[in-house]
Amino acid sequence: MAGSAKVLEDDSLLSRLDRKLAKLEWLFALISGLFAFGLMVLAVVSVTGRNGFNEPLPGYVDWIEAFMPLIAILGISYVQRVGGHIRMDILIGQLRGRLLWIAEFLTTFAVLLLMLALVWGTWAHFDRSFDFSAPLWSRDSSIDIGLPIWPAKLVVPVAFSVMSLRVVLQLWGYARAIVTGTTHPVAVPLIQSAAEIAAEEAEMLSRRD
Amino acid sequence: MDPIDIGLWVTGGLLVMVVLGMRVAFAAALAGVVGLIWIFWEKKDFAADEFTWALTVAIKTAGQVPHGKVASQALSLIPTFILIGYLAYYAGLTRALFEAAKRWIAWVPGGLAVSTVFATAGFAAVSGASVATAAVFARIAIPEMLKVGYDKRFAAGVVAAGGTLASLIPPSAILVIYAIIVEQDVGKLLLAGFIPGVFSAFIYAILIITLALTLKNFGPPVTGFTWRQRFTALPPALPIVAVVVIIICFVYNPFGGDAWGTPTEGGAIGAFIVFLMALYRGMRWTELKDALVETAKLSIMIFSIIWGVLIYVRFLGFADLPSAFSDWITALEYSPMLILVCILLAYAVLGMFMDAIGMLLLTLPVVYPAVMALNGGEYVTAAESTFGMSGPMCAVWFGILVVKMAEFCLITPPIGLNCFVVAGVRPDLSVQDVFRGVTPFFIADGITIALLVAFPAIVLWLPSLAG
Amino acid sequence: TEWNVSLWGKRRAFTEHVHKLAELVEEKSGGAFTMNISYGGLSSNRENLDGISIGAFEMAQFCAGYHPDKNRAITVLELPFLGVSNLAEEVAVSHAVYDHPAVAEEMAQWNAKMVMTSPMPQYNLVGTGEPRDELAEFDGMRVRATGGLGEAFAAVGGVPTSVTSSEAYQAMESGVVDTVAFAQHAHLSFGTINQADWWTANLNPGTVNCPVVVNIDAYEGLSDEEREIFDSSVPEAIDHYLANYGELLDRWNAVLEEKGVTAVEISEEELAKFEEVAGGPIQQAWIEEMNAQGMPGQELFDLVMTTLEEHRASN
Ligand code: NA
Ligand code: NA
Repeated sequence: MAGSAKVLEDDSLLSRLDRKLAKLEWLFALISGLFAFGLMVLAVVSVTGRNGFNEPLPGYVDWIEAFMPLIAILGISYVQRVGGHIRMDILIGQLRGRLLWIAEFLTTFAVLLLMLALVWGTWAHFDRSFDFSAPLWSRDSSIDIGLPIWPAKLVVPVAFSVMSLRVVLQLWGYARAIVTGTTHPVAVPLIQSAAEIAAEEAEMLSRRD
Repeated sequence: MDPIDIGLWVTGGLLVMVVLGMRVAFAAALAGVVGLIWIFWEKKDFAADEFTWALTVAIKTAGQVPHGKVASQALSLIPTFILIGYLAYYAGLTRALFEAAKRWIAWVPGGLAVSTVFATAGFAAVSGASVATAAVFARIAIPEMLKVGYDKRFAAGVVAAGGTLASLIPPSAILVIYAIIVEQDVGKLLLAGFIPGVFSAFIYAILIITLALTLKNFGPPVTGFTWRQRFTALPPALPIVAVVVIIICFVYNPFGGDAWGTPTEGGAIGAFIVFLMALYRGMRWTELKDALVETAKLSIMIFSIIWGVLIYVRFLGFADLPSAFSDWITALEYSPMLILVCILLAYAVLGMFMDAIGMLLLTLPVVYPAVMALNGGEYVTAAESTFGMSGPMCAVWFGILVVKMAEFCLITPPIGLNCFVVAGVRPDLSVQDVFRGVTPFFIADGITIALLVAFPAIVLWLPSLAG
Repeated sequence: TEWNVSLWGKRRAFTEHVHKLAELVEEKSGGAFTMNISYGGLSSNRENLDGISIGAFEMAQFCAGYHPDKNRAITVLELPFLGVSNLAEEVAVSHAVYDHPAVAEEMAQWNAKMVMTSPMPQYNLVGTGEPRDELAEFDGMRVRATGGLGEAFAAVGGVPTSVTSSEAYQAMESGVVDTVAFAQHAHLSFGTINQADWWTANLNPGTVNCPVVVNIDAYEGLSDEEREIFDSSVPEAIDHYLANYGELLDRWNAVLEEKGVTAVEISEEELAKFEEVAGGPIQQAWIEEMNAQGMPGQELFDLVMTTLEEHRASN
């Protein structure tokens, strides 16, 4: 229900790659959601165990901390695809055509630089916690039940790598739009027209409520 | 170049990137990374052969933040509180609340808008995230208001402002974040939010009624509901009460005896009950899947801002900007109350440019100790204090003030998250439209904050009962 | 030379030695060698070793129990029932272990070098309701205790229940935990003492170990004079810490009285029983686990024991 823009499709290579990646991204987002749900179940199990059987879940906090990167970061690329990360569009909202695509290209390129740096940085963070020669390959463990932390840390560079791919596709999409000067580029998030939204809204509301 | 100068330059750069339309999370993170590179290189006097070292250290330092800050039990409340909001939507609670509010109070001037405010206040009792509340009500309340002829911008503004109530009325993710940062009792803070939240709702209602009475062509009252229709609208909304009671029992047991658990657990149990209700109401896997993906989307958006801003905050830590600020504040020679008011005004200005959680994370480590010192220290008694309240009570009072400010910032341009979300749900409205529609509520929030400052008892009465 | 130092929380008895060290080096170097102490601005507490390893800051404090796999060797100091009875002994055994090559090697993986410990007294329980002064009453007790201490309570039927230290007060108030194990200064700063009805004066099951480390490159990059100043200031800093913490301990009984908290003395027989179940077996299990991983487990444990004896003999 949070903001999502439309991504146009055609049968170009770019659009096919976009849809392929989108499938993976959607799966990652669903995993994020499932683990958010799991967090709730975990709390219910913990409370029931403690109050019903005097058997609290050992390492409850450790498990939550292990889940959090899956919930909070794994689906980042999905959100990027549908334009769900917030921004201030007061200025960029005034632009049209090539000027708009050039502006989008520049800020998206800055995101690519950031993401490549963070893939490096978060990989290093993972790498410090990982040791092939140690038991469970672990060189960093959680506070209560000694859970290895490297799997949770590995989630971040993986998510950021997918995000980098997504940003490259978007740059490609914006570059193509700059060249062709089209008003309807594929594989980049577009602001929908009011009529399109209203139609979708009506359909959504009739489905439920 | 002084680290503080670097801090100011990078902060300026961040603002430029944000204004140019870069996604806020990434603009903040990039500013942080660039700032870290700059500050580490400065440490080596910008020697050419040390640039690689500075780059490596900066990027590795930034690389710690996303996992390190996100893997937190306290922040795990955020997805839970968002999930509960979406599940409540599928459990029909949003619709039921809005329907009940409409039948009971829409007869007043500006009726549907007032109903929306009280429906969001009711929904706030099961939702811990302002943006989630704004998102679901944008879907339900705006179309109804448009149908009877409200200005679409004002309709959007009502929803954006009403959404902010979710963070004062418990459960509230942001109150928990405050409690964690300042190491105060989470339960007391959640309790303390209740009355100010309801109070804010009444101020909003009074404002809307005043506008409806003075402006022409404002939305008309909606009348003609029979008492029978009114009473039949109540039962579907009743489960909210059950969830509220459970969450309160987890925070503070009003029946005497121990509370039932931590607020974290209370939120999760509440979410679970709403989930069962949604199942009972016929929620299918496809709908659950939608709810989960939407929860993921909103959570990830918020968490991206959290880690993005925290990379920038990490840079500020190295630039020592916060302590420079602290020294400056404590050296001031004005009355403590004036300083407090100035701090709140500073939050209003800062909040124009920052997201609420990021703002609290950024400032509290500096501002909170200063405020406690103004009151006479962390362990001061009410009698010896400046503001007439003990240290822990001052922490609660200031927490509610600051969270109210942070909520205010959710509706102020240029970066008001609630307005973005409402515009996002209804892209026939631009963000500017929503900002224009929400402007009258600045007045209401200003009045609320002034009253909370002048009469701390509004905040402190309930928590003082809990001992 | 200007160093950045990463601590967390706020200034308290637990961080006084770092402030003293900073004061001493600045004074002795005539202001040429300074330390910027940051509470949480540079890193989070569980990532201070990472920050040292990266080279983001030059000095930091951390606790072994936060991430046992990062610092296996020094977890020996967190084993239950080592028999350490005061802060001076804690300093002696910690520094002896820090000087062991296995510790130096493990720290070197993080580009870190041990400087000094942050000695803490034995952790004791505060609890609500009826005092638990017999071992049998620990059965089913929900206790907030981490690492080796958690294992010790589990060994007698307790249920270690993890909440963060900042949630400890709330957890106690809400009955999520019955008891919380902390050192005295933490019972004060996290407010658990305000919630308590009783305190175990002599349970003394063990403590946690929190060293201060420096980045090796930064240390080696000091001029000879600066390094001499730094090294010579460490013992003074520790002395200052001990004196300061001693004052806090002197005040402790007054605090208990003021808050209406009963000091519970547990009988010798009960203590012996506890130690029998939770001391030897857990220590033995640790030694075996470390040996299996190729760490000198037995040697480290023996080092603690012999140092303790020597320290007592020399006093
Ligand atoms: Na709420
Ligand atoms: Na704002």
